[in-house]
Amino acid sequence: MTGENTVIDLSVTDMAVAASLVLVSVGISIALKLNMEKKLALASVRTVAQLLLIGYVLQRVFEISTLPALLPVLLFMLLTAAHTAVGRPARTFTGLGPLALGTMAVTSLAVTITATGLIIGVEPWYRPAYLIPLLGMVLGNTMNGVSLATDHFLETLTERRHEVEMELAMGATRWEAARRPVADAVRRGMIPIINSMMVVGVVSLPGMMTGQILAGTDPAVAVRYQIMIMFMIASGASLGSMGMVLLSYRRLFNCRHQLLFERIRKRKP
Amino acid sequence: MLELRGVAVSAGNRILASGISITLEKGEMVALCGPSGCGKTTLLRSVAGLVDPAEGGLLLDGASPEELGWPVFRRRVVLVDQRPVLLPGSVEENLVLPFTYSVSKGRGFPREEALTLLEAFGVSGERMAQEARSLSQGQQQRVCLARAFLLKPDVLLLDEPTSALDPEAVSSVEGTLATETRRRGLSALIVTHDREQARRLCDRAIDLTGYRENAHDR
Repeated sequence: MTGENTVIDLSVTDMAVAASLVLVSVGISIALKLNMEKKLALASVRTVAQLLLIGYVLQRVFEISTLPALLPVLLFMLLTAAHTAVGRPARTFTGLGPLALGTMAVTSLAVTITATGLIIGVEPWYRPAYLIPLLGMVLGNTMNGVSLATDHFLETLTERRHEVEMELAMGATRWEAARRPVADAVRRGMIPIINSMMVVGVVSLPGMMTGQILAGTDPAVAVRYQIMIMFMIASGASLGSMGMVLLSYRRLFNCRHQLLFERIRKRKP
Repeated sequence: MLELRGVAVSAGNRILASGISITLEKGEMVALCGPSGCGKTTLLRSVAGLVDPAEGGLLLDGASPEELGWPVFRRRVVLVDQRPVLLPGSVEENLVLPFTYSVSKGRGFPREEALTLLEAFGVSGERMAQEARSLSQGQQQRVCLARAFLLKPDVLLLDEPTSALDPEAVSSVEGTLATETRRRGLSALIVTHDREQARRLCDRAIDLTGYRENAHDR
């Protein structure tokens, strides 16, 4: 045991003991013929490999001291998140990828840079040890919001096409005809983060806060950080959902107040 | 009144009918006939501006929809779809809906007239508070027709206006359609596959088959 406020390092033996917890589940799976042991083993190996790799990568990334050298890392994160976000919805339209990338880049970076540069006051604002983990958290939630909102918007326009066109046919502007699907989709994108905010600290203890406390941070400081993070991810997810749905709306309704339904297509399985 | 100038309609890359020029005079009822797939519904949707015609254009009292603004044009040239489309909510909420659009600013909801029109189309006024989607398809189609008249358009575009009705209800709805259209001096372009209905309701019928001779791949 080391002194207060310092991290207790974990040895390889400690890791092995932690792994043995999973072995209990593997044993039960074999005994009950649940056929889950292989998946559990693979998932455990992937967890170790991926986290060791990201640990190594983060060490290198945190050594970066100039913004131009950091840009490829940011771009990689944004591209991966945008690719994942547009890959999930069952329907798509031409230009969805660039729209998602643009929306997520602007909203996530704006929120994260506000936090590092203005709220925390890190010098310089792009210090990777702060910018990268914070951007990762914001981006992860923005990605979910954008993905859910886009999926819901395209699904609604497909299911309610006749309703939207009926409104247009009676003189509604494109916005008047689209506002219900738009509002529903934005709401759908924001549900996960609103649910998280409702139960944070009551049902769930956020991973980052737990990590900080285990790493020796004063719980009061950890809580303040967590509050900031919650506001950041709420802002990222909601701005991302709104931005994405509004840009999709602009792409799917033209200035002649028509719904360009033929642009929406089912994703190939 | 409403003029179609050299309109062509398409499905994908195939032109279904082309060179369609029709002038609809005030108070005139014109039927659009022809076999399935000849482009009748697509033509009606093109006139309503829900899809672009492959060629040609429209004029309403000499002005193009772009000059008028599409919402204003659509408010004056109202399309009633073949399948009744009502939103969740009461019959009254569905009737009020188009009066909430910016193009209707300043026009209050004429509730008395709504009740009269509903009754004329065979829907009891007591249904106003009922959930619109709980009505039968036939009743829903009548509500949609009443709503179209309530908007006081210059032109009605009706796609198979009696398709959801029982055979015995067809003649009474046809009667109301004819009476209300004439009484209000509206023009109507009516898609129907039923030539007898075209004869009963309309001043003249246009067979789109004639325009199919020009059909070709783009």
